[in-house]
Amino acid sequence: MMAWLQKLFGSSIGKKLWMALTGLLLLGFLVVHLAENLLLFSDRDGAAFDGYVHTLTSFAWIPLAELVLAGLFLAHIVQAIRVSLQNRAARSTPYALNPGHGGRTLASKSMLVTGSIVLLFLILHLAQFRFGDAAARERMAALVRGEFEKPLVLAAYLLGLMALAIHLSHGIQSALQTLGLSHPRYTPLLQKLSVLIAVLLALGFASMPVYFFASGASR
Amino acid sequence: MSDTTSKSGGSRLDSKVPSGPMAERWTRHKFDLKLINPANRRKFHLIVVGTGLAGSSAAASLAEMGYRVTVLCIQDSPRRAHSIAAQGGINAAKNYPNDGDSVHRLFYDTVKGGDFRARESNVHRLAEVSTRIIDQCVAQGVPFAREYGGLLANRSFGGAQVSRTFYARGQTGQQLLLGAYSALERQVGAGRVKLLARREMLDLVLVDGIARGIVARNLVTGEYERHAGDAVLMCTGGYGNVFYLSTNAKACNVTATWRAHKRGAFFANPCFTQIHPTCIPVSGDHQSKLTLMSESLRNDGRVWVPERSGDKRAPNEIPENERDYYLERLYPSFGNLVPRDVASRSAKEQCDLKKGVGESGMAVYLDFRDAIARDSEDAIRARYGNLFQMYERITGEDPYRVPMRIYPAVHYTMGGLWVDYNLESTLPGLFVLGEANFSDHGANRLGASALMQGLADGYFVIPATIASHLAGRKLAPVTTDHAAFAEAESSARERIARILSVQGKRSADSIHRELGLTMWNQCGMARDKAGLGQALEKIRALREEFWENVRVPGDSKNFNQTLEHAGRVADFLEFAELLALDAREREESCGGHFRTEHQTPDGEARRDDEHFSHASAWEFKGVGEAPALHKEPLNFEIVHPSTRSYK
Amino acid sequence: MSAPTHAKGLRITLRVWRQSGPSASGAFETHALESVSPDMSFLEMLDVLNESLVGTGKSPISFDHDCREGICGACSLVIDGHAHGPDAETTTCQLHMRHYRDGATITVEPFRANAFPVVRDLVVDRSAFDRIIAAGGFISVNTGSAPEANSLPVGKPLADEAMDNAACIGCGACVAACPNASAMLFVAAKISHLKLLPQGAPERESRALAMVEAMDKEGFGNCTNHYECGAACPKGIPVSSIARMNREFLRASLKSSPPRGAAPEGA
Repeated sequence: MMAWLQKLFGSSIGKKLWMALTGLLLLGFLVVHLAENLLLFSDRDGAAFDGYVHTLTSFAWIPLAELVLAGLFLAHIVQAIRVSLQNRAARSTPYALNPGHGGRTLASKSMLVTGSIVLLFLILHLAQFRFGDAAARERMAALVRGEFEKPLVLAAYLLGLMALAIHLSHGIQSALQTLGLSHPRYTPLLQKLSVLIAVLLALGFASMPVYFFASGASR
Repeated sequence: MSDTTSKSGGSRLDSKVPSGPMAERWTRHKFDLKLINPANRRKFHLIVVGTGLAGSSAAASLAEMGYRVTVLCIQDSPRRAHSIAAQGGINAAKNYPNDGDSVHRLFYDTVKGGDFRARESNVHRLAEVSTRIIDQCVAQGVPFAREYGGLLANRSFGGAQVSRTFYARGQTGQQLLLGAYSALERQVGAGRVKLLARREMLDLVLVDGIARGIVARNLVTGEYERHAGDAVLMCTGGYGNVFYLSTNAKACNVTATWRAHKRGAFFANPCFTQIHPTCIPVSGDHQSKLTLMSESLRNDGRVWVPERSGDKRAPNEIPENERDYYLERLYPSFGNLVPRDVASRSAKEQCDLKKGVGESGMAVYLDFRDAIARDSEDAIRARYGNLFQMYERITGEDPYRVPMRIYPAVHYTMGGLWVDYNLESTLPGLFVLGEANFSDHGANRLGASALMQGLADGYFVIPATIASHLAGRKLAPVTTDHAAFAEAESSARERIARILSVQGKRSADSIHRELGLTMWNQCGMARDKAGLGQALEKIRALREEFWENVRVPGDSKNFNQTLEHAGRVADFLEFAELLALDAREREESCGGHFRTEHQTPDGEARRDDEHFSHASAWEFKGVGEAPALHKEPLNFEIVHPSTRSYK
Repeated sequence: MSAPTHAKGLRITLRVWRQSGPSASGAFETHALESVSPDMSFLEMLDVLNESLVGTGKSPISFDHDCREGICGACSLVIDGHAHGPDAETTTCQLHMRHYRDGATITVEPFRANAFPVVRDLVVDRSAFDRIIAAGGFISVNTGSAPEANSLPVGKPLADEAMDNAACIGCGACVAACPNASAMLFVAAKISHLKLLPQGAPERESRALAMVEAMDKEGFGNCTNHYECGAACPKGIPVSSIARMNREFLRASLKSSPPRGAAPEGA
């Protein structure tokens, strides 16, 4: 009964459809996550943020949501690795010279690299704020501020977010193409919009470590 | 071959032309032909050689009817056959523009355009089925040009007085071939056609005098293959590459038709070759082929040469009063739009007078200066942008600023294996379609008619006429174990082994070039008896040189393009002699065949209907032996021969 | 037909991939060419080199070519890393030596993709494309059954767009240029051509499914939207065609009946 689904996602187009759908869902998560985190700026003592975190974590469905989110990441990453391996295997003798024809960009070429950096960043991020000291996590705003005052953390975050911006600048428009959204009239606009979204998102996330590092340094 | 040719009557040439009123002949003939029960068709196996318009359309159509078909092509894919390069369009008597066209007019124009050397009944059939070709192609998804209302667009082509040409940008041949190719691939996918690419037919196999198969060579592995069947369809194109430089693709060759000729199929009118007036001139010894520039350029371009011989000034430095717009001067009513043969010959005459331009002196100007001044550069760009770009890419010159240089080049060959009304050659069971046969264009082909003929033969004629053979003759079962296959294979093997064993000093390509130069100079746009005699001597000498001095590296057991080419050159060296002989035998000027002895006082072609109103079908008698000439008289019941005049 | 002589030609160093057969290992071979005429096409330059190789009894370089006017799709070659060489929308046969400076070194490789195995030297086997077309790149209309050509009007903009896609010459440059050796642009061009025309509508779903399935069977890579294919295509086929194919395939997957086993037309 589900044979058609298997066939769909087993095909070459299905594989990129998979990447596009999981990617867009992850993008959706990032947007929500950014909105949540911006609560850090709403007051000086972080009460609003802590209150939000408290309420959120008290919901019974949150572990399930976390599981789904983890599954999404995994689905995106595993498929990316599989597809990359298949793509390498499709040309076993590489070209001696390969300057490119003008289609590919830094972002499109480096999806695996930027994706890996984002993954490493994610591991760091989870270690800090999801699986860190339970007591400290009770006062999340303070934990965040404390962490962001460390120069190495700031550097890691900036690197990770830069990779994210580059990853998304190709990923968003690529997902639109994969979903079949292409038209001479609006495609150029959508491509610019994709880059803009990627950059704004990364800037939004970066604003926190930068702000707290700066305010920590000036204290 | 000796200089004298033996002659016999037309007794062995039965054209099988039906009787009755011209317009009813094809319908009547189809009714009179035997039919094969659909359930019985799968018992017949047909071998199709070549996948151009004729081959692809025939193979697809026959497979759709239920026959089992094996198709061979020389290229890596059937889609690459040289029909793909036709630019201009395809004629059909649809009369969509309401400008007075009809089946009868297309028939009339084609007979007249062929300078009264084609078989009337065949031409009428061609005109009749032309309309259904368009229907078929449109249904296949061929993206013909359309009007804004969504209906098909037409244009006038090659000086025709009506707009009957359908086109798909400058790529009509490509689109028609891809249509036929997709129909063919559909049958491959359905398992009804076995497709064998990179195969070259090397011999025809006759069993009890009937064509029952072929021997081919797998060009990748070098293996020889035997294919047995109930009929062989040769759709292998023309022989323009006997001139070395032509607008044909590099792989175009005479091998398949020539080997069939050596097995007994008559070769008709080999001297009818068409030279296209607007090609990009030769740029040096390295030149490997010539590129056609669409004839449509003559609608706006003016052809001229400097008035003074040997004038080497740059074109823009030559003032108006020192230019000779010779076509407008000689043919005031048609001007730059005279037919292909006239335009070509005039360009040669100017160059012979040392008025030719460019470094080689073998070119004339095609100037758009006045058209640009009249209509603006943008208007010219809209009309011919892609052609101008192609010209600039090849020559490095900007035709918006400097006049184009053009020169005629061999383009199409009207001659081919003789076929009757059923497209069957003199060998029973061997059918010949498209440019490979001689049938419909007479001595000169009209623009946009080659595509029409290839598809008419494949889609509509052969599906009906093949039954004349399959149902009409008793065909005993034949397998590739038959002695005739062994004999043909060993003769093909032996020939290739011989080529490899010479190990001389010259490449096959250099011999081919020399042959081409001889053919072009002595058997090209203008021919005379003495020159043809010299050409015959030269061809024989070159043939000897080939077999004594050719050098082909490598062996025959793998992919060896040099060996492939050498094999084709060897056949051209035999065939060229027949072409020159036919040209010498035909003591008249008609269409693409211009004998300088036979012209009017003002230099126009003079046809001799009293003595040469026939197709010359040649019977092979051995390499170096005089072939026998058989004449098929041509009767003109409807279109009465007249002199073409473009003054 | 006398040849103009060029006072001075170009000196070119050519690094060419040589490989004696599909399973043999290949390597670059270097040739120094003196006085190459700038008016030569790239393939004529190879012809001249081959003539000299034949003259010295060496094995000439095998390369595919036929019409030499940019339409048959036979010529291939990756020249200095560019499928069909550095000129935009130009096949190798139409590339001319005047684009190179005196003393240039040029590296020539075959189209590289496992789905296009090397036959010899620079010649590759592109029959995978034929098999994809055989799977569904057609409109099923038997000869003789077509309706009157003008009975089905097709708007000019639609016909033009169909023609843009039908212009594909099947050369495989898209595969050669794609970092993943994907054949999506080739397949998308055919699906687009037939989808845009009303004649293609009845087989819209089965065609998209069958052609993509056939493509996947041939071992091409997956598309990751680098758009190198569109940049390398000698006929300028737009990558938006791939988006259309994605749409067609998704639509067909969602709404079509069971996958086709037998060919759709009756025997």
